[in-house]
Amino acid sequence: MSRVHTVSAQLDEPAASIGAKARGLAELHRLGLPVPAAVVVTTEVCRGVLGTGRLPDGLVEEVTSALGSLPQQVSVRSGAADSMPGMMRTVLDVAVHPGGPNAPLADALREVFTSWDSPRARTYRTLHDIPHDRGTAAIVQVMVDGARDDHSGSGVAFSRDPNTGAPAPFGDVLFGHRGDDVVSGRVRTRPLGELAGREPAVWAALTTALDRAERRLRRPCYVEFTYESGRLWFLQLRPAQVTGLAALRIAVDLADDGLIDRPEAVRRTTERDLDRARTPTLAPTGADVVAGQGIGACPGVVSGRVATSADAAVRYAAGGPVVLVRPETSPHDMHGLAAAVGILTTRGGPACHAAVVARALGRPAVVGAADLDVDPVAGTVTTRTGTLAEGTVITIDGTTGQVVLGHAGAVVDDAGPHRDRLLDWADEISGDHTPRPGPDRLHDAHTALRTEENR
Amino acid sequence: MATTTPLDLLVLHTLRCTGHTDLGRLAAATGLPPATVESELLDLAAAGLVVHATGPFASWGLSARGRAADADRIAAELAAAGTGPALTAALDRFLELNPELLDLCTAWQLRGAGGATVVNDHSDPEYDARVLDRFVDLDRRAAVVCEELTAALGRFGRYRPRLALALRRVRAGDLREATDSTTSFHTVWAELHEDLLTTLGIPR
Repeated sequence: MSRVHTVSAQLDEPAASIGAKARGLAELHRLGLPVPAAVVVTTEVCRGVLGTGRLPDGLVEEVTSALGSLPQQVSVRSGAADSMPGMMRTVLDVAVHPGGPNAPLADALREVFTSWDSPRARTYRTLHDIPHDRGTAAIVQVMVDGARDDHSGSGVAFSRDPNTGAPAPFGDVLFGHRGDDVVSGRVRTRPLGELAGREPAVWAALTTALDRAERRLRRPCYVEFTYESGRLWFLQLRPAQVTGLAALRIAVDLADDGLIDRPEAVRRTTERDLDRARTPTLAPTGADVVAGQGIGACPGVVSGRVATSADAAVRYAAGGPVVLVRPETSPHDMHGLAAAVGILTTRGGPACHAAVVARALGRPAVVGAADLDVDPVAGTVTTRTGTLAEGTVITIDGTTGQVVLGHAGAVVDDAGPHRDRLLDWADEISGDHTPRPGPDRLHDAHTALRTEENR
Repeated sequence: MATTTPLDLLVLHTLRCTGHTDLGRLAAATGLPPATVESELLDLAAAGLVVHATGPFASWGLSARGRAADADRIAAELAAAGTGPALTAALDRFLELNPELLDLCTAWQLRGAGGATVVNDHSDPEYDARVLDRFVDLDRRAAVVCEELTAALGRFGRYRPRLALALRRVRAGDLREATDSTTSFHTVWAELHEDLLTTLGIPR
């Protein structure tokens, strides 16, 4: 069995051996989409490295020869069978030359493989029921440069809005920057739609690709992309994780589009999705100004006046509700967090300090709104649509991560019509049309579908 | 040689790391009797370094002058101790543990269920025990870092007992002491993080 595979349309090894990311890249090839040249080193090699502490003889030479034309700058990324976001190492800008010693590539491979056993990764696996003995694959891929010129950039895109389920591409783009600049928070992202005006050809290629990927996977899709001098490349493809209102709406829309049948739409919707679709979320209308987008860290919709420091939050709180807006939070912000009705940060992920504290206090929170910029000294927040002074009213949605100017009125359960139709389909499957609660109707349909499958 | 931090600086600096807080929490964080802390606070207030806010968020906090004075004195203390490099090395090891601790806090508050994330309602003792077990494991590794910190500057020795106490309380059934109270493991951890950054003069 080969330990190094060239990533191509023909690559069809199991995820247990080459990881989910390499399978996504192979799928992109099969869809006829452009992917930078890549090879994958299997999880078997990782298990060996973890045992012996060293790379097997000849591995690096095998990788460089499989990569083909050299020299190149490559990235070395982890890619396990189970998703472990952010838990393992990525090494960028590794120079690979023909023949000669390849110490940087050997070091990068060893670093990625051994990161499987970092304490943080072990903790993550323990919490998510992932066995410790599987190991990760490593993907060595030629780098494309999103910072090359004015017609270069990078971004992430969903085929449908993962917050609301709306049937239009959704995501973030960084003009003139590489993808790793998003993660570092060094540069503010822009809404994906701006790509249409700035790079119409790239936008057209991207939307066509998202549509094609969705038709193949029969699910909403997520891609990571870079465009270099106007040429679009895909770096990752996977099914998009969506829940609640969005999951329900997408299931119904996919059935209407003929990508799945109605029983499949019912099968995909969980009772929890129905439950979550009832959580109040923002449904911005044309009259609302969406000022930014972050990650929902603690559910709930709240409106309040912007305060950019904890002291200001305490001061304003005497006069009404306050949303504390900070780059990130520290213990120094605690009295402001306590005084605020909601929390908005421009950095951090779902496990940052602000998120943990917001959940402890039960305050709706949006974190990592990378398209906003807070200046606590000037007391201003720069948004997609202009600069806000302290005291300006905003509304945040701790489920969808949306930030809207003013008192957004449309805080509703937008899933109504979609839910009604889905539950009608559920009744057709169960044959029970008596009036009863939605979760019961869904549950009966699931039972009928399982009975059918086992027959 | 171990450095002993003067009481007034200890109170001032603890207040810098906890943010606005009350006398009880300051006493717990400094390990000093409340009466001693209060006496120091009154002197610091007379010098214009701390202020007492009234109203619904009544608490002690630093004035702008207090913040500047703390930065100067804490830097001078470190320079006199000559242990900056050791402290910086220990900070690197702390920062390796920090994302894992935040993962654990999140796992304590939320749990994945069928692709979705839901609030952990603590109705599944097996799940809680698994998360807690990882807390204990992390705490063991954090203890080594705390020792290094304490060797560099004695006042860092105050964090270890507070972290251990929080964890003991969680294991005894007080579930708020992991992430959700003002004496929780997460709160003490965040204060230690803040202390390291301010002591080394590293901006956030």
